[in-house]
Amino acid sequence: MSLAAALAAYLTRVRETPTAVENLARISGGASRETYRFDAVSGAERLGLILRRDPRGSLIDTDRRVEFLAIASFEGKEVAAPRALWLEEEGAELERPFFIMSRVDGGAAAGPFAPDPYGPHARAIGERFFSIMGAIAREPLVGLPLAGAALAPSPGDCWKWELDHWTAVIDADETHPQPIVRAAIRRLRRDPPPPPARVSVVHGDLRSGNFLHDGAGRILAVLDWEMAHLGDPLEDLAWAMDPLWSRPGDPRVSGMVTPDEALDIWRAASGLEIGSKALDWWRLFASVKGQAIWTSAAKAWADGGMTEPILAFSGWFTARAQDQILSRRLAELGPL
Amino acid sequence: MSPNLPELLIGLAVSLLRPAPPEAGGDYAAGRVGLMASLLVLASQEAERGAAARIWENAAITELLGDTTSTPAHTTWSELDARNADLRRALIALHIAAEDRGDPELQGRILALYEAMAHARRLELPG
Repeated sequence: MSLAAALAAYLTRVRETPTAVENLARISGGASRETYRFDAVSGAERLGLILRRDPRGSLIDTDRRVEFLAIASFEGKEVAAPRALWLEEEGAELERPFFIMSRVDGGAAAGPFAPDPYGPHARAIGERFFSIMGAIAREPLVGLPLAGAALAPSPGDCWKWELDHWTAVIDADETHPQPIVRAAIRRLRRDPPPPPARVSVVHGDLRSGNFLHDGAGRILAVLDWEMAHLGDPLEDLAWAMDPLWSRPGDPRVSGMVTPDEALDIWRAASGLEIGSKALDWWRLFASVKGQAIWTSAAKAWADGGMTEPILAFSGWFTARAQDQILSRRLAELGPL
Repeated sequence: MSPNLPELLIGLAVSLLRPAPPEAGGDYAAGRVGLMASLLVLASQEAERGAAARIWENAAITELLGDTTSTPAHTTWSELDARNADLRRALIALHIAAEDRGDPELQGRILALYEAMAHARRLELPG
């Protein structure tokens, strides 16, 4: 059965009304899940939807329930999350786990390595982007769908949970010794950051390329919640500020605003202070996390029969770029 | 570092030969082809300087380790990478030892080598 037919059968069952699937097309939308856009048509009703289905090999293993609930946590709020509709962890008619969410039309995601991705609207996009990030950080956890599914570390354990997790990913997926990222991990363990004032939702991959914008300075939807978790909100801030997301020679964060402007916007939106020691720690950590993801990409590419170019790109070009960032930062920090 | 150049080229060939389902055409297919084109440009950089980077890195680590043992010449990518893996493991151990005994001079030399290693293996996106 084709994917379109399987999807139609599933929607007909769960919606309890005959539903046809039209205009089904795969789109680029994160390397951890196969992403498709389509229309669900029942009589005169036409719904624009997005399908996110587990692939046979992926960039990083993530929990689709957590991603689904993270999206549901911010539906209808300032954060501009799509509407989470159906989750099938056993795969149902589609044979592999998936979920379906509403589609946001009229926008595009910039390529993460595109030169000057937002042109004359860079400042407006930057103000909105870091405001949204601050809104995620200040969202109360009580009653939030994500908080019912994700484990919450104590403030003092946020750093350790994340560093342990991503170190384990490197341990499991590394196929060639990586002295640079190993040195960074040791440095992070020797000098942990101060605990955050509060544990927050962390999007986990909030950066240039993971949101839709309308080309006129408005952010329409925040995407790719697959690494969402609870933790130190500085993790998101540091990840977006990693030099990987800025073209060489461009002093702006992700081609948007300067680092100082980004911090000011986030501070105002979140109501939280930013300690320099904590931010420095999370910024070095961001590069370690990045290298862990690229290490997994290389393994997923090989394990998946070398058929997904995005995994080769991440596991090769991006990993090399991340090593340059990490080695430069370690040299700046100097000996232990 | 993984994957290496021969693996990448095989992977690109496999990707080109793989039949795409009907729903994976259009913009998605165009994006995939564009990505493969970028990988080929990067592969040309690796073909030009990747072997030299490995030979240089292996010699630099060997020198830092003070290893005077003569080793056979490595002439293929897989041989160079296998030797490099051994040397990198030894470099990691040396760095840990330097940190544990508080040897800032050796740590500084290792950190400088890391920067040079990452630079030698750099890949540059066109445009």
